[in-house]
Amino acid sequence: MKRGSPVPAAAFLAAALLFMLAPGAHAAAPPRGAVAPSFNLPTATGSVSLDSLRGKVVLVDFWASWCVPCKSSFPWMTAMHQRYAPKGLAIVAINVDKSRKSAQEFLEKHPAPFIVAYDPDGKTAKAFHVWGMPTSYLIAPDRSILFARSGFDPKHAKDVEAMIAQACAR
Amino acid sequence: MSARVRLLIARTLLATAAAASAGCAAMKVEPWDRDLLAEKKMSFTPAPLESAIDDHVYFSKEGSTGGQGVGGGGCGCN
Amino acid sequence: MTPPPGATPRRVSPLRARLGAAACLLVAAGARSAAAQLPDSTVAPDTSWNPDSTRAPLAAPAAAYRWQFDGAGLLYSEKGRAKVIEPQARITRLFPDGQTLSATLGLDVITGASPTGAIPTTTVQTTTTPSGNVQTQTANEVPTHPFNDLRTGLDLEWTKPVGGWLTPSLGTHVSMEKDYRSLGGTAKLSVAMMRRLTTLTVGAGYNEDRVDPRGGTRAPLTDGTVLLGTGANPKRVRSALAGVSRVLTRRWLFGVTGSRTTEHGYLTDPYKVISVLDATGAPTSDVVTESRPSSRTRDDVLASSVYHLAQNILYASYRYYWDDWGVRSHTADARYRVELPNQSYLQPHIRYYFQTRANFFQFGLPQGAPLPEFATSDARLGDLRTITLGATYGFHPHAGPGEVTLRAEYLRQWGKGSGGQDGGELEGEAAPAASSGPIDFIPPESIGSIVVGYSVPF
Repeated sequence: MKRGSPVPAAAFLAAALLFMLAPGAHAAAPPRGAVAPSFNLPTATGSVSLDSLRGKVVLVDFWASWCVPCKSSFPWMTAMHQRYAPKGLAIVAINVDKSRKSAQEFLEKHPAPFIVAYDPDGKTAKAFHVWGMPTSYLIAPDRSILFARSGFDPKHAKDVEAMIAQACAR
Repeated sequence: MSARVRLLIARTLLATAAAASAGCAAMKVEPWDRDLLAEKKMSFTPAPLESAIDDHVYFSKEGSTGGQGVGGGGCGCN
Repeated sequence: MTPPPGATPRRVSPLRARLGAAACLLVAAGARSAAAQLPDSTVAPDTSWNPDSTRAPLAAPAAAYRWQFDGAGLLYSEKGRAKVIEPQARITRLFPDGQTLSATLGLDVITGASPTGAIPTTTVQTTTTPSGNVQTQTANEVPTHPFNDLRTGLDLEWTKPVGGWLTPSLGTHVSMEKDYRSLGGTAKLSVAMMRRLTTLTVGAGYNEDRVDPRGGTRAPLTDGTVLLGTGANPKRVRSALAGVSRVLTRRWLFGVTGSRTTEHGYLTDPYKVISVLDATGAPTSDVVTESRPSSRTRDDVLASSVYHLAQNILYASYRYYWDDWGVRSHTADARYRVELPNQSYLQPHIRYYFQTRANFFQFGLPQGAPLPEFATSDARLGDLRTITLGATYGFHPHAGPGEVTLRAEYLRQWGKGSGGQDGGELEGEAAPAASSGPIDFIPPESIGSIVVGYSVPF
C-alpha cells in the first residue's frame, strides 16, 4: 500500500511549534511595594480618583459583565464594604466592559453599594498590569500596593479579609 | 494528489503558521479585551452533540475520518 | 444482478456501518470541544504575589447550574435509499470547580436500501433463488438491497480542570447492533499556556470492535459460497491526536489539529460485492465478494477558524485527509451565524467535499483475468464529491435558558463513474460496448436531513 507523504505531517508539526512559540501577552503583576498608578475615572454620578480617597485603604477590583467569577466576588465585596467601610476601607470596582449597557445589566443582578468606575478603553487596567479577570489590588493609604490577586476563590476569601482587617487597623 | 501538490499544501501551512506567529508578536490580547472570546458561541464546536451527528453522517457516506477529537472505532463504515 | 446461488438473500451494508461511529464520535466531539477550549478568561488562575500568603489555587466560579441536558434528533433520508432516525440525549453533571461528568445515550433506527457495489446492467434480470424467491433487477439502475437495523450506544465522559491550566478528560464508549459491537476509551489532556492565549491538546483512543456478519464471514473475491467462519471478526482501532489553538486577536480564534488512526483486523464490508465483467467490459450476472487489506493508516490535518465580527460569527475550517489505501480528500466547511433579536440566530452552512479513490477501487473484475489482491466497488472508496447546503435556526422558546435549534440540510453526492464516457473508469478494462450507452455507476444522490435540538441548564 502506498503510504501518504510525510510532508504534511512534518508541516503540521512545524506549524504547531511556530504557533506555540509565538509570543503572547505577558502581563506581569507589579512588584511588591510598588506604587499604585493614579487614575481618574467616571462613575455613575461623577468621578473617582485615588486623591479623592486620601487616607483610606482602597480595594481596587477590575471586573466585567462577562467574567463569571465576578458573580461571586460582588456579594463578597458587598460584605467587605459593610464590615470595613466604617474602618476606613474604600472599594472601587473598575469596569472594563466596552459598552456601559452590559455593565449596567450586570449591576442590576448583582447590586454594588460601593464605588463603580468605568474604564472601557482599558487604560487604567493596563497601568495596573492586570493579568487576569477579575484582578484586585489592596492599596495602603500611602499608595503602596499591599496585595494583588487574579481570580476569585471563595475558599481563600477569608485570608483576603484578614489582610483587609490588618490594613485598616494600621 | 501529486507529491507536488502535497508539498504546496505543506508549504502553505508552514507559511500560515509563520505569518500567524510573526503577526502575533504585534497582537497581544489583554485580559480585559476578552469580552468577545468569553461568549459561549466563540468555540470551534459550539454544539457538540450536533457536530457528532454531522460527523456520523459524513463518516458513513464518505471515505474520510478525523477532523475532530480522538475516537476511531465503532465504525463499520468505509 | 443475482445473489450467489445457495446463499441467503444478502443484506447489504446498512447505515449502521455508515453511522457506526456515533458513540465514539460523541466522545470525540466532547473531546473536540474540550480540545478547542477557549483560553477561558472567565476562570483566571488565582495567583497572588504577596509572599506572605501561600499560592492560592484555581478560582472556583460559583456555578449557578448543576446539570445540563442536551438532546438532538436526526431525521435523515436518502432519495430512494436509506432512512434514519437518530435520537441522542446527554445529561451532564456540572461541579463548581469546572469538573463535568456526562452520559450520552443514542439510538439509530435505520431502514431502506443500500447499493451492493455491483454495477448496473443494461437489461432487466430476473432470477429465482433456490428457495423460490424471484428477484428482479431493473435495467440501468444501481443494484441495491433492503435492510433494517437498530444501533444503541452509550458514552461516558469525565473532565476535571486541574491547577488552572491543565484539563484532563477520560471517556468510554460502547455500542451494539445486530452484527457489530464496539467498545473503546479515550484520554485527552488540554494545556493552557501563555496567559491562556494558546491551548495545546493531545489525545489518544483505543477501540475494540467485533464484526459478526450475517450468514458468516465470506471468503474474499469468491462467489460468496465459501465461508471463512461464522464467528466474530475483531477490529482494533488506535488513534492519536495533537492540536494547538491560539487566540490571534480579540475577535479571532484559530486552531490546527492533526490526527492519526490505525485500524487492524477485519476492515472489509461483509455485504458488498463486485461485478464480474465479460469480454466487452459489460457486467455479467456474477458477482464476487470484496477484499480489503487488514490494516489501514489514516491521517488528517484540520485548520479551523472562528471570527467574531461586530455581531455575527464566521466559522470556517479545512481538512486534508490521506490514508495508505490511497484515499485523499479535501473538506471545506463554512458557517455564518447571524444574530437576530430576542437572542435568536440564523446560521447558514455550506460544505464542500472532494475525494479521490482508493488504490484498489474497481468498478468490476474481468472474467477469467487473474484476481488482484484487493478490490472494492464500494462507492465510498471511489471518487466522490459531496456538496451540503443548510441552515440552522436557534431560539429560546421560553424565558429561561433553554434553547431550541432547528436545522435543515440538503446534501448532493456524486461519484465519477460513468461507463463508456470518461474512460479509464474501469481500471484498464474496456469500457462497456458503445451500443449499451453510458451508465452512471455512481449516480448523483440527493439526501435531506433535519436535526432538532434542545439544550437547557438547570
